[in-house]
Amino acid sequence: MSALGRRDFLKLMGGGACGVCAFTEADELSAMELVATMQAELEAAGDLSWGKAPCRFCGTGCGVMVGVRDKKVVAVRGDEASPVNKGLLCVKGYHLPGLLYGEDRLRRPMLRKKSGKGFERITWDRALDLIALKFQESLDSHGPDSVAMYGSGQWTIHDGYVALKWVKAGLRSNNLDSNARLCMASAVMGFMTQFGSDEPMGCYEDFEEGDDFILWGNNMAEMHPVLFSRILENKRKNTSVRIIDIATRQTPTSDYADLRISVVPGTDLALANGILHLLVENQKVDEAFIAENVVFKRGIEDLEAIGYGVEGKNNERYDFKDEARASSFAEFTSFLADYSPDKVEKLTGVPAQQIKALAEIYGDQKRGTVSLWCMGVNQHIRGTWMNNLLNNLHLVTGKISRPGNNPFSLTGQPSACGTAREVGTLSNRLPADMLVTKKAHREKTEKLWGLEPGTLPAKPGYHAIDMFRAFARGDVRCMWVQVTNPAVSFPNLARFNFSGKEERAGSKESFLVVSDIYPTPTTDLADLILPSAAWVEREGCFGNSERRTQHWEQLVPPPGEAKEDAWQIVEVAKRMGMGSLFPWPEAEFHEALYEEYRKFTIGVGKDLASYRELKNTRGMIWPVVNGKETRYRYAAGFDPYVKKDKGVHFYKAKKFGEKAAVWLRPYHPPAEVPDADYPFWLSTGRVLEHWHTGSMTRRIKELHQAVPNAYVEVNELDANKMGIKSGDKLRIVSRRGSLELEALVNGRGKPNVGSVFVPFFDESKLVNILTLDAMDNISKEPDYKKCAVRIERV
Amino acid sequence: MTARFTALLLCLVTALFACSDKDPSLSKVPVPGKEDAMKSTSLARAARRAFDGAPPVIPHAEVGNACTTCHNKTGIYIPDLGFAPPMPHTKTAGISVTSNCRQCHLMQKSKTIFKVNLFEGLAQDLRRGSRMYDHAPPNIPHGIFMREDCLACHFGPAAREEVRCTHPERQVCRQCHLQLESSGLFRRTVTGQ
Repeated sequence: MSALGRRDFLKLMGGGACGVCAFTEADELSAMELVATMQAELEAAGDLSWGKAPCRFCGTGCGVMVGVRDKKVVAVRGDEASPVNKGLLCVKGYHLPGLLYGEDRLRRPMLRKKSGKGFERITWDRALDLIALKFQESLDSHGPDSVAMYGSGQWTIHDGYVALKWVKAGLRSNNLDSNARLCMASAVMGFMTQFGSDEPMGCYEDFEEGDDFILWGNNMAEMHPVLFSRILENKRKNTSVRIIDIATRQTPTSDYADLRISVVPGTDLALANGILHLLVENQKVDEAFIAENVVFKRGIEDLEAIGYGVEGKNNERYDFKDEARASSFAEFTSFLADYSPDKVEKLTGVPAQQIKALAEIYGDQKRGTVSLWCMGVNQHIRGTWMNNLLNNLHLVTGKISRPGNNPFSLTGQPSACGTAREVGTLSNRLPADMLVTKKAHREKTEKLWGLEPGTLPAKPGYHAIDMFRAFARGDVRCMWVQVTNPAVSFPNLARFNFSGKEERAGSKESFLVVSDIYPTPTTDLADLILPSAAWVEREGCFGNSERRTQHWEQLVPPPGEAKEDAWQIVEVAKRMGMGSLFPWPEAEFHEALYEEYRKFTIGVGKDLASYRELKNTRGMIWPVVNGKETRYRYAAGFDPYVKKDKGVHFYKAKKFGEKAAVWLRPYHPPAEVPDADYPFWLSTGRVLEHWHTGSMTRRIKELHQAVPNAYVEVNELDANKMGIKSGDKLRIVSRRGSLELEALVNGRGKPNVGSVFVPFFDESKLVNILTLDAMDNISKEPDYKKCAVRIERV
Repeated sequence: MTARFTALLLCLVTALFACSDKDPSLSKVPVPGKEDAMKSTSLARAARRAFDGAPPVIPHAEVGNACTTCHNKTGIYIPDLGFAPPMPHTKTAGISVTSNCRQCHLMQKSKTIFKVNLFEGLAQDLRRGSRMYDHAPPNIPHGIFMREDCLACHFGPAAREEVRCTHPERQVCRQCHLQLESSGLFRRTVTGQ
């Protein structure tokens, strides 16, 4: 019996043979015997202890209590003390422990064999020496533009800060970017261009305080389920609460919506302008608020001049730069004349009545309005413009920086805010919203880091898409990728040698290091693979969507020789003679590192809580001044930086005289639209059960078994016309590639007529073979939501 | 021992799931306390959870989104499928846990795995819970968040025999059963020094 543990037993139950047999008393007795054995195992096991941590998956930042026994995570439960989730989780959160225990965890550094095929084990020492050597060689022979690091919003704050310091101060390159560029960059540029400071002004309490929740291309029931639960609870208690679902696809979120608005892909720009048109026309704008707090700006609008990042010279390097010029309310009014309800109806497919209904909601001063969005707005060829327009809706009505009245951009990665945006692991940024292009910002950074003046390079590095274009060309020769999986997540994979057909990525001379916790299509293409510690296998901090920074302690040891990402970078830096950049005690560097980083944030309205405060709380919402959080930024009575008695003060928008900017932004068509050869829209995205490229969630049995493979959702009317049934094999073809998938008709998501949807988590069904690498003109974030395909039967 | 035991396990498996080779999602759900069914379903309970405390996966085929039609306050017997136990979250305060069932409960559509996973979840502690003395009301041995409706699991056909309540008519469970929040002892805090 002892040879047969509980796990074997469960395995037998799960995969057991079948047939009908009667149950006898003897069997019952033995069942009791088995229960007794399970009890004995429990008696023998060590004590169960619980520690706090934020969830590893999305940007919501749910608090979990992590159950540890015998140095293994054995359970989690929702943290009832967390103000984020109040004890509730979603399927991914409840199945968190499984992410650590896939049998194929990377445990040792692996080097590509000389033959080019397969990998062999090497020691950490050799691996770190080799990285130092390759990066140094590249720096010496081809300069700082030839090296690059690519990370993600899954980096802890510690990892990101070390990466930033190593690349920008050590390698003296700005070729540091992260997959937040593919995810949140448009939201960043929206907030920066209007408020001079990144991240939302509101907090999750808006979900209880608001009356109308307007979801712009946002399937919240699946993507931010715990936050959606807070809205649903508000709605349950207050029957007047309304959810408005503006989307190109019917989703589980639509089931709860009071009004569902179908919009033609990409025309959301026109829809938002149509609402602004009616607000102005019906005098529903808050003139006093505008006079006190708002300026008007206009940028470059010429479609030819802007492009999409995939044509002519833009196809290799997309460096379009917007230019602001002063505008006025009068110009704003005449600009909006083009967006009358009738015209907008023709373009967007949204009935004029619905546009009017939206304008009434935004214009109703008696009701709190919260706009919510995520990838539908950000992954958009004019994503920054779309962010501008949503912020505009709140600025012209004065429905901003007040409980229950805010534009609220949601995030998809656990520390997209905390690391990529706040630490600034982007090719143009430094910590706390500072830019490499500004002399004063470089000088401040050099001073805090104790560097000679002029050390930091002023030229922005490659943004993500251009970085991998340069890597494929051979201009970037050494690349280090940590905590992300670009060989699945990049658009138009084939052009980056990421189609899975090559054995390695990049050019012939290139050198690719990949740090991860599991083998992925990206590690398959690497020259050197490093095993990383994950989540509670190391200490760290994440920052979530509502500006909350959360800390956790290491709770279990990492497997094999796996090491945390920050440690890996510091060790390479030391070997390159850059050890003085990391002057923290080796044994316990986390607190010292964080407190050094925190200096960037103090006194500039981005004040982070101290490490001690983070350890003792369920996270704190910055700016934290005198131990107090700021739930509503820019708002009198909430934000310690606002000295007014009432109203708001956009004190971070220094270049607009401390007023927020309303931008005039027109409609531009998507980069590729359906035509006779490719008659369908293709949109891509996630499902509730899987997170990002699925490298973690697919290894968790329960989640995998719920959604084992990608599929293509087809609208029922299109399916009927083409004689397609669920389960039929289809070939989806774009100008860039083709992919075979099973059809799903009337599944949980129902795309609008003339469009199809494919989730991107499945590495054996790479939908990004089909997508286009067209980008937003300002944020350089690619558009995964709109390209043209045709459907063929297999 | 092992051969006999394996055979027994297969029988158990059959009794628990009565599954068919064709479609695992059509499994019949056991009705404890009924004829021909196990008296205890601790094992079935464990098989549906990644660890003790994880939300159970859905053990039957997809029958629409109206979960609470069957998983209502009392639960109902569904011919050919089994007993739909009552849902224990109706009294959970502060956050909507009842409106989006699939947010936490997974449908299992496949028996395949992507990669082997070595996770060993926390097992339910089936040892007798604590009480002050023999015959004293037992303390509650588990968390109660989202399990505020005690009778959902401790009464009716779905209640496992060993946790079935003998006195469901006394509705205020926590009048007698303590929820222990701490394992520490009272210590007097001296003030004013």
